[in-house]
Amino acid sequence: MIAALLKVTDLTVVHDGDGGERTLLDAVSLDLAPGEVLGLVGESGSGKSLLCRSLVRLLPSSRLRISGGSITLSGRELTTAPEAEMLAVRGGEIGMIFQNPSSHLDPVMRIGDQITEGIRFHQRLDAKAARAAAVDILAQVGFPDPARQYDSYPHEFSGGMRQRAMIGAALSSNPRILIADEPTTALDVTIQAQILRLLMDIRARRGLSVILVTHDLGIVAQVCDRIAVMWQGRLVEIGEKRGLLAAPAHAYTRSLIASHPSLPEEDMPAKAEKLRTPGAVPVVDIEKLHVRFATGGLFRRGAVDAVNGVTLRVMPGETVGIVGESGSGKSTLARAVLGLTPVSSGTIRFDGTDIASGRAVLGMLRRQTAMVFQDPYNALNPHLTVGKMLAEVLRVQGKIETAQIPARCGELLDLVGLGRAFLDRKPRSMSGGQCQRAGIARALAVDPKLIIADECVAALDVTIQAQIVELFRELVERMSLTLIFIAHDLAIVRNLCQRVVVMHRGVIVEEGRSEEVFSRPKHAYTAALIAAVPHIDPDKPLLAPSKMATPQAYGVAN
Amino acid sequence: MHRYKFVLYRPLQFLPVLFGISVITFILVRLIPGDPARVLLGTRATPEAIARVRAQYGLDEPMLAQYFYFLRNLADGEMGRSILYKIDVLKLIATRIEPTLTLVLCSVVLSVLIAVPVAAIAARNQGRLADQVIRIVSTFGIGFPPFWLGLMLIILFSVELAILPVSGYGNTLSEKLAHLVLPSLTVSLSLSTVLARSLRAAMVEGLKSDVATAARARGMPESIVFWRHVLPNSLVPTVNLLAVNIGWLLGGTVVVETVFALPGMGQLLVRAIFSRDYMVVQGVAMVFACATVLINFLADIVTVALDPRVKL
Repeated sequence: MIAALLKVTDLTVVHDGDGGERTLLDAVSLDLAPGEVLGLVGESGSGKSLLCRSLVRLLPSSRLRISGGSITLSGRELTTAPEAEMLAVRGGEIGMIFQNPSSHLDPVMRIGDQITEGIRFHQRLDAKAARAAAVDILAQVGFPDPARQYDSYPHEFSGGMRQRAMIGAALSSNPRILIADEPTTALDVTIQAQILRLLMDIRARRGLSVILVTHDLGIVAQVCDRIAVMWQGRLVEIGEKRGLLAAPAHAYTRSLIASHPSLPEEDMPAKAEKLRTPGAVPVVDIEKLHVRFATGGLFRRGAVDAVNGVTLRVMPGETVGIVGESGSGKSTLARAVLGLTPVSSGTIRFDGTDIASGRAVLGMLRRQTAMVFQDPYNALNPHLTVGKMLAEVLRVQGKIETAQIPARCGELLDLVGLGRAFLDRKPRSMSGGQCQRAGIARALAVDPKLIIADECVAALDVTIQAQIVELFRELVERMSLTLIFIAHDLAIVRNLCQRVVVMHRGVIVEEGRSEEVFSRPKHAYTAALIAAVPHIDPDKPLLAPSKMATPQAYGVAN
Repeated sequence: MHRYKFVLYRPLQFLPVLFGISVITFILVRLIPGDPARVLLGTRATPEAIARVRAQYGLDEPMLAQYFYFLRNLADGEMGRSILYKIDVLKLIATRIEPTLTLVLCSVVLSVLIAVPVAAIAARNQGRLADQVIRIVSTFGIGFPPFWLGLMLIILFSVELAILPVSGYGNTLSEKLAHLVLPSLTVSLSLSTVLARSLRAAMVEGLKSDVATAARARGMPESIVFWRHVLPNSLVPTVNLLAVNIGWLLGGTVVVETVFALPGMGQLLVRAIFSRDYMVVQGVAMVFACATVLINFLADIVTVALDPRVKL
């Protein structure tokens, strides 16, 4: 065994609150060898990010403090090192990248300057040499035209390129350890695969040690050497990845593995398919739909086809998944169906009625459809209790007597598994999963024929995701709901939906029964999407770089 | 450079704005009760004399015709003749514009010079003594009316210490600047508190932002984190606040110029209103309106320069 580069022993971090001390990190011990990739998994609030911040002593609040234990970097104690020494450690020896490149890059500073900054400070190079070094780093992290792109601002790049820029900034001072905190969570699967590959590439080239924080067991299974599992501020399990995945010791690790929505190889038992009465009226009947957005300014007008000729039919009781990367038009399609986005051409029929035929139809549409949103917190009014929120919907709908509203609110909460105790709660005091359940209860309050869920589990922890998906499955079966489920997570769609529609650049490239599409994709784009999903089995690696073309490479047949 | 393209076509939008302003000032001025001819000739004027003066200035014509003359004059670059001063309004304004312009400019520069360091000290010591002291002082700054502040400054610096002139304006540059110190200080003491508060709030946010965290994680010392990342990001919202306040400041010069007896546009406006000197009131209002439009235009340019994401 090589001597550990970083050694953490009994690290304890406490929060000094009004109600006394609260322990947030409880005697965490781990070590990191040179060149090793350690995966750190656990759900939000388990202390993963706090642990990373503690390693470089950048605690997110002044009320937090390291109360015990030690962190040694090559034998040097960091918990008691003077602040000036920590400046050299941060960036110079331990680099960090974060989940959201958009908010962590300075929006008013050129990309290149953000990389140069670290080089100039840590390596004391002059402006010209630093710029040359930064251009070199931009090239290393995959910028095709680094000399020119040096002068661009973050907003001019896509999410994937921004993450590359942030990796570049972290690498600028030649650190020996890179802490990557959920580096791909905000990215599409294909981009995620590219970024992970880049990280592994850099690690191989520079002999970097990596601590990779993620909630996705598929990612750790694919790229890490060892896995550490955190739960409620404690490190409950750490070990070599194959052994740990095959024989998890801790109950939480087991539930984490169980709720991972991997894509199974073998055909799953066919989902109970509703008998389709011939001649039944489709709930949603979309024909040759185009949604065009104007772009550009006063003088140069352009248009972009967000939805470009989509024809789709959803029968009553069906659960249809729409998958695709960001920008593929799936959300625009959903908004068009609900009459929230003006349609450029084509028709949308809801229950046989063209929704473009007047305001009355739109009113009818709003009474019979509901939407569940991605961000469960922001989709709820923070000033209303759950009970008041549901009562408001019921009152506006006017489908039931005023006197029965309280009883109905209770029923709705029972239905989504929250229980009546939540009637008086406000979103602030609820977890993400609980908020999303309340959001689903609100959608159900309309007593809708159709629910459209737009990325409604993307912001939730894996174990919570599994619960919400299960809730949808139950509701669909029990209430003969029609569900359009939009997600970028293929595994979840496969688990939940009977039929799947794959969208790419505003066009449906493939559709069919979930089992068929996922096990035998016909379109190259679908195949690339599936291949990019990190499998929880370490022996089923992501496609080799040569085979892993960018999705832009696939022409889309109309 | 296409982000700056609006600099070319935005002035086209000024035309309808200025037209609207001309209609409003024209009507508002004539809604002030009183008759310029009567004010000019005094209470014992004969009706014939009044009618003669009215005819002389075109005041006997219908409103629409008067407005038409006003517009035609504007197109010729004229704003009519002052009834009180008996000279061309534009010439009159030209003699008065310098003190006002310099006062506004000095006040704005001084306000920014005060606001930025004060906000920086407060934000970087959030919740500590320095922050509390600044908060209390700035609350007083907002609370005290400018004319009172001005009088107190006169008592302190001019009467007690006798190091600065009490009021008026000078002839040489150094004289003029000496006379502008106290008025500018008066204005900027209130303006800088408003700016500093907004700036402090933005900086406190900025210090907690992901951008700052990322910079710290790259090993940047607090000074770089603050001056290179937090400050530039905090300036953007404050520029617009400053622009709004400069517009307000133009109106405020009326008070300050009166307190310090500065022969500027504010003073001219007050006198013109009291003597129903329609042409002058119109002219000054138009100049103030144009200045406000222009300042907002400049603020837009500064915003675009500060924030690469902004497209106008």
